[in-house]
Amino acid sequence: MTTQPPRLALALLKRFVPGEEPLAGDLAEEFAAGRSRAWFWRQVLAAIAVHAFTRQGDERPLPRHVNLTASPLPDVGGLGLVALVGLMTVVMPQAWWLVLAAAVLGAVLGVVLIAINRARLG
Amino acid sequence: MQPVCRRDLTVAAEHFIICEEMARHLLTDFELMILLATLRAGDEAYGVQIAREIERTSGRRVLLGAAYAALDRLERNELVTSTLGSPSPERGGRAKRFFRVTPRGLRAVKETRQALVALWQDLPQLKEKRA
Repeated sequence: MTTQPPRLALALLKRFVPGEEPLAGDLAEEFAAGRSRAWFWRQVLAAIAVHAFTRQGDERPLPRHVNLTASPLPDVGGLGLVALVGLMTVVMPQAWWLVLAAAVLGAVLGVVLIAINRARLG
Repeated sequence: MQPVCRRDLTVAAEHFIICEEMARHLLTDFELMILLATLRAGDEAYGVQIAREIERTSGRRVLLGAAYAALDRLERNELVTSTLGSPSPERGGRAKRFFRVTPRGLRAVKETRQALVALWQDLPQLKEKRA
């Protein structure tokens, strides 16, 4: 069995929880002492959730702009996405089946993962 | 409205500030557990140790992230202080963060205990039956 904690979990912790080093150290210590990978992931996801829903005093998070369409112009990403959807509908409408299939597969995968996790927890 | 604080205050704003300060000293159940576990763990109290102490004494499962969030909040309210230790290999080269309860934290624990005991008293539902 590997004694290295999940690297992706640690990367997520570092990305989403500022000042995470002591927490990551505690998790690594517990993992080395025999805790499971599932336990490690649960702790990391819970820490991210707790941090996300805990307000740091009066400090407000800076607004973040997410440009889904990689548009070079700020605040026009939504228009780019609409243009892409329109183009896909006109040029290749059958591609929507791929989008639908991906959405269904995602939902099925989510249900399967939940069922596996519940069965494991008993 | 009569002031509820014992100190004789003539300025309403000052009265409000002191009452607010008193109210902040009452801890949530988790904060109280964290502070008590920190006191029990002594000078070398760090996240894992505090969580284990709570699990051992109360049987409550503790998420380390939740414990750190509570400890951060307590530190912002000056109820605990923290210092970083030396990095160690079993922790992947990461340092421990040691916590210590401040005199203000100790006072908050005592005030919360007093409030709980006062609430507890004279409740017929909680009186133990003697054989």
